[in-house]
Amino acid sequence: MDCTPSVMKIDKTGVLQALNPADYFTLAMDEEIRSESMPGSLCGFGFELDSMPKITLLRARIDELSQRFPLILASLQQRGNRFYWCERQQNEAIFFQHDYPEKEKSELFIQTQLESLLNHSQKRDEIMPLSFHLLHSKNKTVLLLRWIHPLCDAVGASLILQYLCTDDIEQRKQFNNPESESLVNLQLKKFSLWQKIKLFIKAKRYITTLDQQQSIIHAADKKPNKLQLTAYKLSIEQTTKINQLARKHVGLIGISLYYIGCFMRALERMNPEKTGDAYCVPYAFNLRKQRVLTPLLNNHVGVLFAQASREQVNHRSELFEHLKSQNKQVIRQQIDYAFLPIMWAASFLSLKKHGENLRLSYQHKTERSSFWFSNVNLSDLGKQSLCGTKIKGISNLCQISSPPGIALLTCEYQQQLSLNYNYIDPLFKRSFIDELHQLMLEELLTP
Amino acid sequence: MKAHLREFIFQELIFVASVEDFSNDDDLLEAGLDSMGIMRLIMFIEDKFNVVLPDTEIDPDNVKSINTLEKWIVRHQS
Repeated sequence: MDCTPSVMKIDKTGVLQALNPADYFTLAMDEEIRSESMPGSLCGFGFELDSMPKITLLRARIDELSQRFPLILASLQQRGNRFYWCERQQNEAIFFQHDYPEKEKSELFIQTQLESLLNHSQKRDEIMPLSFHLLHSKNKTVLLLRWIHPLCDAVGASLILQYLCTDDIEQRKQFNNPESESLVNLQLKKFSLWQKIKLFIKAKRYITTLDQQQSIIHAADKKPNKLQLTAYKLSIEQTTKINQLARKHVGLIGISLYYIGCFMRALERMNPEKTGDAYCVPYAFNLRKQRVLTPLLNNHVGVLFAQASREQVNHRSELFEHLKSQNKQVIRQQIDYAFLPIMWAASFLSLKKHGENLRLSYQHKTERSSFWFSNVNLSDLGKQSLCGTKIKGISNLCQISSPPGIALLTCEYQQQLSLNYNYIDPLFKRSFIDELHQLMLEELLTP
Repeated sequence: MKAHLREFIFQELIFVASVEDFSNDDDLLEAGLDSMGIMRLIMFIEDKFNVVLPDTEIDPDNVKSINTLEKWIVRHQS
């Protein structure tokens, strides 16, 4: 009797690369967002420029980038049960210029275009993984770098911009050199099989503990319609003061925790009547070394959670002490790395099942995330010009699943903190966000 | 001790163009050591050198360079 397992033949024609476990993690979220009739996991960095860049030079550099990294022009396709980056029949343009019509209000044009480009809906295997959009109005120029999350994480996207900012061709050759395999896989290789199993069990137990408390969700129970962005850039004085207060409350090791804690408190002040026991916030940490130029593409992240009960959120100093010790315990017990075997195992599930595991509390079968959070450090970008112009401000955008329908993306650039509230209309309204921002400022600046 | 610290920092935490040119007095924070990196570095130090570094002393003066890290560790070893 033939006992060999039957292996389904996969058509590997035109396959450039398989997805790594962290890519699958973002692909599962892409599927979750698409299942809500939204565009999938589109992300963006909006770089406000001092003036128009040299278009010919910018176009040439983008062409060079896409020739060196063909994944940028690839199509994300399912073959059998797995997903792969595949060659396209025909390459499409990835650089676009959008000039504003004279009759429109200048400020409104840029904002409308940014939101429109992030709400652009296209089939997963048709959409270009990365595209550049130069938005130009009477007194403002913004270069939008838009990508789908399975292509790369935020650090990878910032490396792409750094590549465009690098004038010396020899220095550009240093990007993605040497080529590196997935950092998630490299980290997993450091553990023996038994260590992986122990880590897997440890992470499952940790999530089960988190799920004992039902997460507080502020989104209205409505069908998602479109992503909106409200961005605020704080002054140098405000940013300096916030950094000093963060140092005081969470020390040198927890600036992200300070933002998260303040946002929990601002939301709680907006509506203390919301049902639930605790705020639970997933956030990614990058596996790349700092300042390294490789790997450029794909996702190289693990996941952490910050969770605080309503009681803790209501007591400011206790909240920061709790978030700090929670974070320290997670790293000391290697729970941060324990999520990697889970990520690897989940990559073999269907996208639907994977998405459910990511989002739904085991105990309550409701959404686990109160809001999404990401903090990126782009201070290095300020040291270079971009094709003859300077970057003077940065906003970051991302599509979000609903619920939670809200993400706080923070970024400090040239000593100015920007708070980017990404939210799904009509789950949240602009008036709510404006009021929330005032409370957030109060929280950030409270001694 | 310095060799162990250098090996861990440059293998795991930050990338510098030339490790040889990075002196033990050079600024680690300016070289990109971030909050997550500091946490991992402290865990490494506590395991490797069998010390407990108090939270209240995690400040720029102590984590500034390889040399200041060494002094900080030695203070807690005795």
